[in-house]
Amino acid sequence: MSPNKTKELARHRKERIWMWLQVLPVLTVLVVLFGGALVLAVMQSLGFAPWFGVNTFPDFSFFRALWGEWSFWYSLGLTLYYAIVSTLIALVMGIILALAMVRFFPGKTLYKYLYKLPLMIPYTVGIALAVIMLGNGGMLSRLMEFVGLIDDPSEFPQILKSHYGWGIIAVYVWKQTPFVTLTIYAVLLGVGRETEEAAAILGASKSQTFFQVTLPQILPGIISSTLIIFAFNIGAFEAPFILGGGYPDTLPVIAWRYFNDADYSLQLQGMATVVSIAMIAGIILYTYLALYRRYERKIGRN
Amino acid sequence: MAGRTIKTALNSRLSSFQKIYLLLIAGFILGPFIPLIIQSFAFRWAWPDMLPSTWWLEQREKSLLPLAWDYVISPYSRVWEATLNTMFIGTVVTVICLAICLPAARVLAREKFRGKAAFEFFLSMPLIVPEAAIGIALLMIFIRLGLAGTYTGIIIVHLIPTIPYMIRMLTAVYQGLGRDFEEQAMILGANRWQVMRLVTLPMLLPGVVAGALFTFLVSTNIFLLTFFLGQGKIITLPTLLFSKIAGGTLDASAAGITLVVTVPGIILLLITERFIKEEAFGKGFGN
Repeated sequence: MSPNKTKELARHRKERIWMWLQVLPVLTVLVVLFGGALVLAVMQSLGFAPWFGVNTFPDFSFFRALWGEWSFWYSLGLTLYYAIVSTLIALVMGIILALAMVRFFPGKTLYKYLYKLPLMIPYTVGIALAVIMLGNGGMLSRLMEFVGLIDDPSEFPQILKSHYGWGIIAVYVWKQTPFVTLTIYAVLLGVGRETEEAAAILGASKSQTFFQVTLPQILPGIISSTLIIFAFNIGAFEAPFILGGGYPDTLPVIAWRYFNDADYSLQLQGMATVVSIAMIAGIILYTYLALYRRYERKIGRN
Repeated sequence: MAGRTIKTALNSRLSSFQKIYLLLIAGFILGPFIPLIIQSFAFRWAWPDMLPSTWWLEQREKSLLPLAWDYVISPYSRVWEATLNTMFIGTVVTVICLAICLPAARVLAREKFRGKAAFEFFLSMPLIVPEAAIGIALLMIFIRLGLAGTYTGIIIVHLIPTIPYMIRMLTAVYQGLGRDFEEQAMILGANRWQVMRLVTLPMLLPGVVAGALFTFLVSTNIFLLTFFLGQGKIITLPTLLFSKIAGGTLDASAAGITLVVTVPGIILLLITERFIKEEAFGKGFGN
């Protein structure tokens, strides 16, 4: 009995070791790169930078200097505003599109190629498109002259390079609506339409069917896709850099400016900015997920 | 066929609102490319003309090619260099990512162990931690290590955002595979190597191809990490385009480059649509 048991245990242990060996490469890459970057960023933002001759760890003065300026809070507001508005617009547009995609229509095969195009190309292409469409000398401006609304490019309402950021939001929405659509469409395909059909047979109205049957079913897709695009939008750099309204910029742009400043000591303030971005994103996303978990438990799903 | 004859309570056709909506979205997605294409063939196109006042074709004797395209194919534009860099980095990243993710995905799909949920959460962290934070933090380390501005550095950093996608897609593939087929082969007397070669690999292949294509796609689209860690020494298509439009204006040559940067995406779209099924994507991202 007992030799058998030890043999069994040994075999079990061997299997466990083999299992961890298989996971090890991925784990190493992520822990070293990702974890290492985060830990070092936090330490530097707290004054640990011996290579600049700065080592005042732990020192909260960089955070104090950063958070003490009104422009930081203005930047934070701008960053969140662009991220939230574009995520919401992309979500609504994506849901409507996904609901249409599950139906039959002529040319659906072609459409399935077409709507995914923005997913496949870099954000910089979207920015170029925004410039040619929405810039002061762009197509929209020409169109307004054509119908006689304006006589000069300068009269065109500033869409790009303003703090309202409609150019930035347009780029995000253009690029992310297909992502939301794809995720929700995939969930809808997995669920099938039987439950919707049952609801319809039982006499539910269209809006009842949507809010009480379809929406809870696609909720996991909504949560995961909005999490990903919201996190991306908070950390995005190129669109606010090119299309943004200048000082005060969004937080990632500020971090980059600090980091490239000729004054080395500002690099640590840049690190404090980076850590602030990660912290704020972390808090928001954690709250969002926690609320969702609570909702899932409430409706008895896990 | 029976399904067709049964009258369902649900309408499976589009409402007229949906028809208009689909058209509007198609216009929103593709429409902006039209002026871009026109721009790249224009000779003179000043505000407020809706179409160029002088097309390249009318000025053929002055320049053999449209000005934009003449510039794009010349070495001064560095388009060719950027394309090669993009393809090279994408390929290496895909191979490494596949090699390290395959075994891990196998474990995730088949084994149960303590801390598995936490581990899975950790693997998807790169998707939800802002890229700017990772980019700048890593740049500091890479400058110390002499990796900033090198291919090695960029390839390493591209692994971060690609791993979560690859892991999810491969785990879904392994889950769909199940163990039954491998066990049956073993019962029928196949050895481990035969099982691997004749059963597991052929069944995994479509999923692996899908994961590889998607990883390649993600890598070729990365801007921020390449821009921060490339230090201007290594240019890829997204960073090249960024430098052309950073001023906020778009001339004919920038329009041409924008179109060039779009091409790999179109090619990948045509290929991936055949390999990546919506359902598979949903399995990877539905939770």
